[in-house]
Parts: sequence; C-alpha cells; structure tokens
Amino acid sequence: MASLDDPGEVREGFLCPLCLKDLQSFYQLHSHYEEEHSGEDRDVKGQIKSAVRSHLSEFKKHRAARIDHYVVEVNKLIIRLEKLTAFDRTNTESAKIRAIEKSVVPWVNDQDVPFCPDCGNKFSIRNRRHHCRLCGSIMCKKCMELISLPLANKLTSASKESLSTHTSPSQSPNSVHGSRRGSISSMSSVSSVLDEKDDDRIRCCTHCKDTLLKREQQIDEKEHTPDIVKLYEKLRLCMEKVDQKAPEYIKMAASLNAGETTYSLEHASDLRVEVQKVYELIDALSKKILTLGLNQDPPPHPSNLRLQRMIRYSATLFVQEKLLGLMSLPTKEQFEELKKKRKEEMERKRAMERQAALESQRRLEERHSGLASQAANGEVASLRRGPAPLRKAEGWLPLSGGQGQSEDSDPLLQQIHNITSFIKQAKAAGRKDEVRTLQENLRQLQDEYDQQQTEKAIELSRRQAEEEDLQREQLQMLRERELEREREQFRVASLHTRTRSLDFREIGPFQLEPSREPRTHLAYALDLGSSSIQSSIAPKTPTPSSAQEPIRVWSGPSALGQELLTQSSMSQQNEGPSLNPFDEEDLSSPMEEGTASPPAAGASFGPSAHISKEYNPFEEEDDKEEAMAGNPFIHPDSPAPNPFNEEAEHPQQRHSSPLVPGNPFEEPTCTNPFEMDSDSGPEAEEPIEEELLLQQIDNIKAYIFDAKQCGRLDEVEVLTENLRELKHTLAKQKGGTD
Amino acid sequence: MNVVFAVKQYISKMIEDSGPGMKVLLMDKETTGIVSMVYTQSEILQKEVYLFERIDSQNREIMKHLKAICFLRPTKENVDYMIQELRRPKYSIYFIYFSNVISKSDVKSLAEADEQEVVAEVQEFYGDYIAVNPHLFSLNILGCCQGRNWDPAQLSRTTQGLTALLLSLKKCPMIRYQLSSEAAKRLAECVKQVITKEYELFEFRRTEVPPLLLILDRCDDAITPLLNQWTYQAMVHELLGINNNRIDLSRVPGISKDLREVVLSAENDEFYANNMYLNFAEIGSNIKNLMEDFQKKKPKEQQKLESIADMKNVKRLLQNPKVTEFDAARLVMLYALHYERHSSNSLPGLMMDLRNKGVSEKYRKLVSAVVEYGGKRVRGSDLFSPKDAVAITKQFLKGLKGVENVYTQHQPFLHETLDHLIKGKLKESLYPYLGPSTLRDRPQDIIVFVIGGATYEEALTVYNLNRTTPGVRIVLGGTTVHNTKSFLEEVLASGLHSRSKESSQATSRSASRR
Repeated sequence: MASLDDPGEVREGFLCPLCLKDLQSFYQLHSHYEEEHSGEDRDVKGQIKSAVRSHLSEFKKHRAARIDHYVVEVNKLIIRLEKLTAFDRTNTESAKIRAIEKSVVPWVNDQDVPFCPDCGNKFSIRNRRHHCRLCGSIMCKKCMELISLPLANKLTSASKESLSTHTSPSQSPNSVHGSRRGSISSMSSVSSVLDEKDDDRIRCCTHCKDTLLKREQQIDEKEHTPDIVKLYEKLRLCMEKVDQKAPEYIKMAASLNAGETTYSLEHASDLRVEVQKVYELIDALSKKILTLGLNQDPPPHPSNLRLQRMIRYSATLFVQEKLLGLMSLPTKEQFEELKKKRKEEMERKRAMERQAALESQRRLEERHSGLASQAANGEVASLRRGPAPLRKAEGWLPLSGGQGQSEDSDPLLQQIHNITSFIKQAKAAGRKDEVRTLQENLRQLQDEYDQQQTEKAIELSRRQAEEEDLQREQLQMLRERELEREREQFRVASLHTRTRSLDFREIGPFQLEPSREPRTHLAYALDLGSSSIQSSIAPKTPTPSSAQEPIRVWSGPSALGQELLTQSSMSQQNEGPSLNPFDEEDLSSPMEEGTASPPAAGASFGPSAHISKEYNPFEEEDDKEEAMAGNPFIHPDSPAPNPFNEEAEHPQQRHSSPLVPGNPFEEPTCTNPFEMDSDSGPEAEEPIEEELLLQQIDNIKAYIFDAKQCGRLDEVEVLTENLRELKHTLAKQKGGTD
Repeated sequence: MNVVFAVKQYISKMIEDSGPGMKVLLMDKETTGIVSMVYTQSEILQKEVYLFERIDSQNREIMKHLKAICFLRPTKENVDYMIQELRRPKYSIYFIYFSNVISKSDVKSLAEADEQEVVAEVQEFYGDYIAVNPHLFSLNILGCCQGRNWDPAQLSRTTQGLTALLLSLKKCPMIRYQLSSEAAKRLAECVKQVITKEYELFEFRRTEVPPLLLILDRCDDAITPLLNQWTYQAMVHELLGINNNRIDLSRVPGISKDLREVVLSAENDEFYANNMYLNFAEIGSNIKNLMEDFQKKKPKEQQKLESIADMKNVKRLLQNPKVTEFDAARLVMLYALHYERHSSNSLPGLMMDLRNKGVSEKYRKLVSAVVEYGGKRVRGSDLFSPKDAVAITKQFLKGLKGVENVYTQHQPFLHETLDHLIKGKLKESLYPYLGPSTLRDRPQDIIVFVIGGATYEEALTVYNLNRTTPGVRIVLGGTTVHNTKSFLEEVLASGLHSRSKESSQATSRSASRR
C-alpha cells in the first residue's frame, strides 16, 4: 500500500484546501480552516472575500460631462490669450490694441453691470469698470487680475505641445518678450484713464486667472520630477532586487551548509557579495532621502520631512529583517568537512536501508517457513530452525540472530536488531507473552535510538558552530597580525616624516569635512549604484591596483560584512530589534574601525548603546553631529579605499594562506584619490594617533586573553610580541610629542 | 467569520489596488481608528504607505509625488472635504473608498469636482466598524439611547455599522431581537430596511442554514458590566481602560515616554494573544509578581464578591473604610438589582449607609438609575429566575469556592442566551423573528449585537462557545465595549434617573404586552 504522502496519490476525505491535512469530518475541517487559515492574508489579487461596490463607472460618466465642459473652457481661454499676444503690443497704439481685444471676445455692455459682480461695489466715475480680456466680463479695479506676457507665452506654447487641440495661425513666442519698464499703467490709472495701455500684460477677471493658474500648475507638474521620487524609485528597485536574489542565496547557503554540492561555493559567495551591496545601496539611498532638503531655506514642509523619515525607517526595517535572514557560508575547509560528513551520512543511510531491506526480506522468508512448519508442527519447527536453539525443559530462550548485524556500530541499533529477531523467533514459537514483552522492549529501544539521533544532530550542529567561531577568531588574529605588520611599516615612516598614518588619512575627509560626505554619498548612490551591482557579479581578484577604481570601495565593506554575519547570527538574540546590520562591520573588523575612527572603536566591543541610539531613524537628525564624527553608519559608504578591504574580500583564501606575499598596502596610499583631502586637517593628528595606539593595545590584550582561553599558545606568543612592540612605540611617541 | 480579517482585507485591497509608489492614507477620525485596529505601522509601511493624514486637517502640504488612498465614512462633511480636495488636488492621484453606502448624488458632486481627472477609483468597502478581536467588534458609541429609545443619530450609525459588518462577512441574515427592548426592535427593523433596499448588495451565495442576527439590549443584563471581570483583557479594560486596543498610561506617574500609550493587539503581541481570554489567575501563575501586586492592591474586590453571597455582609462591608466610593456604589447596585423585588429588601437602609459613608450624590443617584436601566421590569428574561435566585448567586461564587481558581467565575447571561440559541431552545416569545420566516435548523453563523455595549467577559464567553461548539461560529458586537465605569456613563447618558416616571410607564407598557 502506498503511503499518503506519495505524489500523485489521489486523496479523498475532508482535506484542507490549503495545507491538505485530512480533517476527518466537515466540522473539523471547518473549524480547522477558521483557526489556521482565516487569519492568513490569502486574498489572491483581485479576489476579496467581503462585499464591495464600485461607483467608478458612474463617477466617470459624470466627470466626463464635466471635464468636456472644463477642457473647452480652458482651451477657449488659451486660444484667446494667444490671439491677444500674437501681435507686438508694445509698438501698437492703445486704441488699436483695444480694437483687437474687443474682436477677440465681445465685451459686456457697461450699462448692464451697475455693480462689480465679485465684490459688489457700485461703479462710478471713481470706481471704473474694467473688462476681462479673456471673457469680456466686467469687474472693478480691485478685483482685476493681470497676466504677464511670459506666463501667457508659457501657457500657449505648452498647450500647443501637449494639448494640440487647436491650431494657431502664426505665433512666435519670442516676439513679445521685450517689455519696457516704466510704463506700468496701473500706477498712472488716475491721470490717464482712457489712454491706459497694457503693453506687457493682459487684464482679466479672477475666474479666468484662476483657471489659467491651475493650468500652469499642471504644466509644471508634468515636467518636474522631484528628487525624492527619483531616489525612491531607485530604492524600490534595490528592494525588488533583494527580494529576488536573497531567497536564491538562502537556498544556496542552506544547501552548501548541508554539505551538498549542488551549488558552487564561489558562486554563492559572489551572490552574497552582490546582495550585500544592494543592502548598502538601500541604506545609502534611504539616508539620502532622509536628508533631502534639510539644508534648504526655507526648510521643507513637516509632511515632507515626515515622509522622508518614514521612508528611511521602512528601509531600515527592510534591511534589518532581510539581512538577518542571510545565513553565513561555510569556509572552504568547513565545506570540505561538511561534504565529507554528508557523504558518510549518506553511506550510513544507504547501509541502513540495505540492511532494512535485507531484514524485511528475511523476515518474509522466515514467516513463510515458519508458517509452513507451524502448519506441520509448531514446536518441532522451532527446534529445527536456526543453528542451535537452546531449549530447556520449560523455558524458552531466543537466539541472537548474529548474522550480518555486527557491522552496526551503534549498540542500540544492534540491540534493536536482536530484539527484532527475537520477536520473530518468539512469534514463530507461538510465545505470545514473550512477543508482547519483546515488542514493548523494542519500542522503548527505538524511542531511545531516535532520541539519541536527535541529540547527535544537535551536537553536530553545535560543534559546527564552535568551529565557525574558532575560525573566525583565527581570521581576526590573522588580520590583526597583518595590520600590525603594516602598522610597523607606517610607524617607521611616520616617525621620520611626521606624516599621518594611512588609517588616519582615510578618516580625515569625514571628520574634518563633514559637508563633503553627502555629495560623495549621492554620487555613489546615483551614479555608481547600478553599475556596482552589476560589476560585482564578476569574481574579484585582490589586485592592489584595483583600488584606484572608486567602485572597489563598495565591494570592500560588504565583503567584511559577510564574515561578520556568522558573528551576527550569534549576537542577534541579545541585540534584538535594535541591531543595525551596518554596525556589524565594527564587530568583524575591530582593527579597521579602531584605527579609522576612534569614537566608533569603542562601539566595536560594546556596541549595544551606540547601536540603539544610531538606529532610530527619527533621532538621527539630532545625532547628526555625532554621526559625522564617528558614525559607523557612514563607514560602509566611505569613499576612501581601505587597504584591508582588499584582503577581507577573500577571507577563505586568506585563511588558507595567511602569509601575504608582497605588501599591497603601499600602493593604495599613493593612488588614493582622496589623499589630497586628508591634508586639510593636520591639527587633530597627534592625539588621535596616540589614542589609536592605546586602543590597539587594548584590543591586543583582549586577543591575548582570548587566545589563552582557547589554549592557542603560539598565538599568545605572537600577540604578546605585538603588544610589547606597540607599547614600545607608544612610549617612544609620548616621549617624542612631549 | 473573522472581523479583524475582514477589515484588514479591505485595507490591504485598497493599498494593493493603488499600485506601486509612495502613498498617503487619507482618513477621517473614525476610519483612522478602524485602520489602526487591524494594521500596525511597520506592516503598513511595508506596503509603501508612508503618511497618514486626516481629511479635515488644514495644513496638508501639496505633494504631487504621492498617491492618495482615501478611506472615509460617507458623511456629509467628508464628502464636502473630498470635494474641496478634488478641486485643488494635493496628491497626484486619488483612490477613494467609502466605508459604507454612498448616495448617487454624492458620487455625482464628487465627479463634478474632479476637473483635473485625478480620481482613479471610487468604491464602497464596508469596513465601517472597529474590529476589536477576531470575533468582537464595536462601534465606539457611548450613550446610544435616550431613555429607552434610540438617539436617532446613533441609530443610523449603528444601522450602518451593523449592515457594513454583514456585508463584510457576506451574510444576509435572519433577524431575531429581544422583545422587551424597544430599541432592539427598532434596530432590527432598520437593518432589515437596509437589506431590503440594497438587496443587490446582499445577494450572496445561499448557505444551507441562513446566518442569524440576534439583537439584544444591555438592560437585559446589567450585572455583567458591574462585576469585576477577571480575564486579562477585561481586567486591563476595567482598571486602565482600553480604547481601540490602546491603553493610555499617561496618567500613571513616572511612566516612561515610550509607555505612555501601549497597544494591546492580539495580532502582534503573542503574550496578549495567548492570554487575553485567560482568567487573570491563570495568567497570574505566569506572571506571579503582577498577580501578587494586584492582590495587594485589590483585596476588597475579593471581599466584595465573597460577601455578595451573604447579603447581610453588604452592610458591614459598606462600613469598611477601605472600600472606595465607586466600589461601594457598585456593590449596592448589584444588591439592588438582585433583591429588587425581595420583600425584606433593605435597599433604603443601604442607601442610607452610602450617604453616611459620604458617597457622592452622583453615585447614589446612579443606583436607582441602574435599577431603572436594568431592573426586573425591563428585563425580558429572567436574569435571576425564581428557581435560579440562589443558583445565580452560587454562580457568582462558584470559582471562589474552588472550582477553577480563587477568582469568581461569573457566567454572563449571554452565555445562557447563546446556549439556548445554539440548541434551538431560545424562546420565540421572548426573542421573536423579524418577519414571517423562521429558522428550522440549529443556527451555524450567529452575529450577536448588544445595544448599550458588550463586555470583554462576554467576548470570552463567545470565544469559548466558538471553541467548544463545532459548526457554530459566533461574532459579538456592541455599540461599545464596556467596563463598569463606561457602563455607568452609559446609564447616566440614557438619562433614566431624571425621567424615571415616563420610562416606568414605558416599561409597564412593555411588561403588560408580555
């Protein structure tokens, strides 16, 4: 009989349509559905369980009637406006102008309108009537509006392009631009009432002006896309990309971590870098959105700021949620080990299956033979069977069926097999009581075995995690050692030339020129963003010269973040929701941070306080000062090439060959495009250098402690040596500055 | 039949229909509450809704890069606001959803205001009620009746809310109502009217057993809201007050800034979801400290309930200086409701005690008001039936004497009503059908609506019934969700104590009809 889980099996009964569980009865199915699925957001697009009613068609019908009217009105006004501006007003006599104006639209008779229709004032000699040149109606001076020629031009030329509802005979937009100053008729209206001449504007009523202004607004909006929209669209594209790529990566990582060979490790790590880069872009873009227009005067409307904050907030939420889901990849060694383990596992399973098959076959045979013999004579049959059944007068002892079971390494398994065979024998012997007890035993054993297996699995994964930890530590150690070496070199240089260390130079632009940051930021987000995503697909070789390309800057931190993720997965529980994925880089590369930005370095070992503060998007504005100074957030976007990034990109390789041939660190320094900027702030140089050293010493002490704890004495030695050197340098420097 | 899901579905659909891009949600005062009950901020942010604005707020900025989703009740003011909005649109495109039926003429005036063709959608989405729990909804109306009759405005709001609920659950029900309540009958008729008028809307796929709408009046059971309720949700409401699943803690001295307002939502708070229906003592074993703390604070409540059994103790208890004015009044109210007709009724004496104790006149007047509101003359059914007179007292105390835990397990009267209804034993003489047709089978989908407000304790009853009765699904609703304080406000708002004369006439009429 095939099991229910077989694909293709036709199942019937009260199955839940969603999870295919068999619920036995209608009521149970009903309540199951209510309980399990009613809360799920399962409304398929366009389908909704509740009633709705649309008024759209009716709305459109009414609107269409109205719109026709409205469009005709607007177009009429614009055609008239065009006619009014089609001739050279400045060089035409006022009488002629008036004649033309009257020809465009018939003017309402003066006698018909004793009061201004808008404000209700009575017309008199003093309060004269004015005609709207666009609709011919009458209003008083106060209620009169004017349309300047540029506006008129804008409206008419725009409608020619967009509306194309009418054909103008001959109109040259630039013919009317010359406006003469000093002929502002409104000022001299009392003296020369009749000869009033509007050579650079057109009189109209408020209603016409209103309509035209609305039209103008529409034209403006059509042309203008605000920055926030552009940035936001980019942001959404990035999010989509993550949504698409992340599951792919997770599938790969899960498979690799299980030791499967379906995907290649390189491919997965490339993908990982790619996804990480998109995350950084999301962060950068959303931050850019957050700060949009903050320096403007007047500042943006509160609603705009709120919108920006919310976008930033949701982007942060997005990154947090998704980034934490990105599991780490095994290193090459780990992967090899995993593969081996899996192979063993598979073999064991296969062996077990084979055995089980064998067993069942034998059982079948035995049953056959047993049945046959029992039919003849139960007791005798059991006597005949087996090599040497021990038989006492009353007792009955089963034989251990020895064959082929000794290969089971697990004593429990062996036991289980024994008992199974005992049961068989007992059954054959017709000992019902014994069978029952044995079966009970078997069940207990099996439970035990299951439990053991689970424990084993747990143990296995724990050990794996430990290994990962170990490796990470080693990695850090290596990096640390390299840094040390490199520092040595630079220290020698700096002592003689009294120039800043490389690391300090990198942070220079940020600390001293905070205003620069947004610009470069933007440049990256806007111009390099998409290209950097695509370029990252190609595997990178750590050639030092590549640091010349600004794109490389992006790849650096993301690769660091990658290592870090192993760590983050451990630390995420205690850090909770305030965990900022970008802060994590501090954790993974304390050396880098330590040298680069002293305030942040403190955070690298005790990140919680800093992170939680940093995280809240609504407080960020207040924290700006602080953020500029030592914000780890900025760091990933840092345009300064960090020589360590090159290394960190390939942690696996580095791990296998800790000795880096040659020194790649000198080159980036000379090619560093940002080197010049760093010269702007020499004042802060000395104290920071010292602080860095102190920090460094602290760090190394911590490492020593760590290494001692783990019993890696050789490392302790190296570290102690480093420490001594550092202390020495510090003392020297102190002496020098004093 | 999950009201939270129903409303959430509407909101999701609106957002989905507006397509990608930055969005602003434009709401009125009531819809803001409706939306906030089913969606959290982070959840809605994920759907690109970044701003939440009130349609009546004056200083909204022109933001043409936003799409506007408007979710509004179809009131006159809202339509006017919307017309103004469309005349000078602040956003690029508008998706308009009304939470209830909107008139054709309103649609027309909106259409005529849309000269710039910014409206892309006009629909009715019937999320016109506050979804408190999956099977509890409220309309947040306090003081729905004047005397024994509806405040007309509230009647129309209640009718709208109730019909919207039916539409959102796709139910076209048969209606039963509490005969003794004029208000219940009125509401039943109004709902029926809407169903008849909008028959096209109410045309759903017929189910084998038609759903049932049962309309009750709070005055049938004035006891439940007077008793302390002992489940977590009910308790929080009783002690702190829950408004739209939000608890205002700003009055608590020394409370930290981010705890000023706490949101209790079963959707997002696992602890709350697991515990909201648990008896407080059961949770107490989880959060022992809180429990002990509470016990320290409120020993008198315990005493009070204990002593109801022995009414002679009421007097003694009243003299206890530890019992607050409010609790003392409550105690006498309970006593008065219970022994209203008892020959040796010592109510006048108790009232004297209250006065001696210095209980303010406001509360003393409330005692008679409550009796007027929920006294025997009003009750259509026997809240304390003769044979049950003792039984119900026992019921008050069942828990106390050690059934489940120390805390009293009062079964609200609703439990009995629903139990009878489910078993098909609810008397038609007391709860008649509206219209000629009656239900043959046992009902399956039941919507109970309590005029004058439901309680969280009753929500628990419904929850338990849903859990234990296969095939039956019940949704409970009320004009509001009460704690004792809000209930007394409800009684006060009905103005019964001041016009007891006319209302007593009204009740005697209804009594004689029986």
